[in-house]
Amino acid sequence: MLRKIIIAGLAVSLNLSLAGQETKTAVSSKQALITDEINLSTSDVELFKEQTNQKVKEFEQYIVTLGSKDEPAEKRNMAEKEALKLFYKGAQMEISFLLPDGTVQKVSRPMEKYLARLKSLPYTKVMIKFYDIAYIRDFTKGPDGKYYSTATIIQEFTGFSNDDIIYTDITKKDIEIIIDIVEDTFFQEKRWKIFLGDIKATETRSTTTTP
Amino acid sequence: MSDSFIIKRSLTPFLISMICLLAFPLYGQRITGKQKATEDIYIARIKQFNEFADRFNLVSDFNGNPADSVFKAKMPREKMIPLLFDMKDPRSLQQNAGYSESFTRLKADFVKDVVQKNLLLNKYSPGIIAEARSRILVNGNPQTVRIFLNQEVTEDRGVKWVILAVKGNFSDVFRTDSTMIRFIQPTSNETDFINLKRALEDTGYLHYYAYKGFEPDNLTLFLYYVNEGIIKYEYAEEVIYHIISIPGWYFRVRDFNRNELNSGWLITDLTRNNLDIKDFIKDLN
Repeated sequence: MLRKIIIAGLAVSLNLSLAGQETKTAVSSKQALITDEINLSTSDVELFKEQTNQKVKEFEQYIVTLGSKDEPAEKRNMAEKEALKLFYKGAQMEISFLLPDGTVQKVSRPMEKYLARLKSLPYTKVMIKFYDIAYIRDFTKGPDGKYYSTATIIQEFTGFSNDDIIYTDITKKDIEIIIDIVEDTFFQEKRWKIFLGDIKATETRSTTTTP
Repeated sequence: MSDSFIIKRSLTPFLISMICLLAFPLYGQRITGKQKATEDIYIARIKQFNEFADRFNLVSDFNGNPADSVFKAKMPREKMIPLLFDMKDPRSLQQNAGYSESFTRLKADFVKDVVQKNLLLNKYSPGIIAEARSRILVNGNPQTVRIFLNQEVTEDRGVKWVILAVKGNFSDVFRTDSTMIRFIQPTSNETDFINLKRALEDTGYLHYYAYKGFEPDNLTLFLYYVNEGIIKYEYAEEVIYHIISIPGWYFRVRDFNRNELNSGWLITDLTRNNLDIKDFIKDLN
């Protein structure tokens, strides 16, 4: 059903006039419609946004589980494995740090390494909480036929040494979302699937204390 | 079609208080301090450039839902657009020494123009120029370059960002020489430019054989050096948007990472503009 919707959406997109491409100024209402047509229809967008939101929630839950020192090792390992399945191959985590001199330093790691590091942080206890917010932008078609979006979530991290909080931060995570066609070997058909891609993590506030 | 927040709780009471806070800056600053690190701040924060465009065009409310007639009546564009400016800009703070009456007037003219002519920000306009201030390594030494990109719409309605220009200091590639011995002799044409071979083997000084006023194209140089492994790209330290798609205007949007209601992607500068993309980038300091 979903596939039919998308194919119909694509067919409409392909038949569109290209008149709007040469626009170099602000759009009038008519031109704004052309802009919208680059994307999926409203109903498709709502469907994909809901599915994207579910994927993001899944990711949040895996992060909470694999970061928690209270959970059994098997459960944390499973969370790490399942979290990786959500991602497009080669996805990276880029973390930015604000240095005391005001400059920004960024470190990029493959998602596998990021998740493995998160699992083995040197705290006796870790609490990860996600705010009840997820902003998901509209889907835009890429030249490769896939659809792209970005989801933004806010994460609060607290690291303990025994009962003392020794580190806390709040980071904004911008997650690339990719909708790609995958072949379902069981049903022998092609269908759209949502993947998470690269993540940009920006520290918005951090506190380090000596226990 | 609007983009949306997916938010799992109502923001209406917060929205009303936020409007009040932003309308009365002094009171707002006092209250804002108490609200730091709350979820409300992150909801109010303009988290993506896309969200900036949606608020500018008033297609969605603060919750990210399509802006209905009730929301539009409470928060028309003439109220919404001023909220998209950096309110800590000294030029906008009446009690600040840097306060500028002319800038305040310019902002008012901009809002009036945008609202009266119903000018919308086309998210895929080539007039949205992203500047990625990037860290690169040139032969292992760190350097910052400015890479300018905008969006191209392909024939099958796909969208992609493309590199328009690169600004950086690549001049150290060309050596300087004041001996005036580097030129192609005036009679070289009679000898089928035998000297051209000698000139083009003079590596490091080749620019002296080019026409007066020759300026190398930085984008070509950049791509060549990256290709040759002389330049290694590290990451974008900051992204700034230069927007010239609103006729007659230029405004700059950057991300203000601060724990306040007025945070995220905000307008940080505004001037009148009539330059096209090419001339605009050339003139950009």
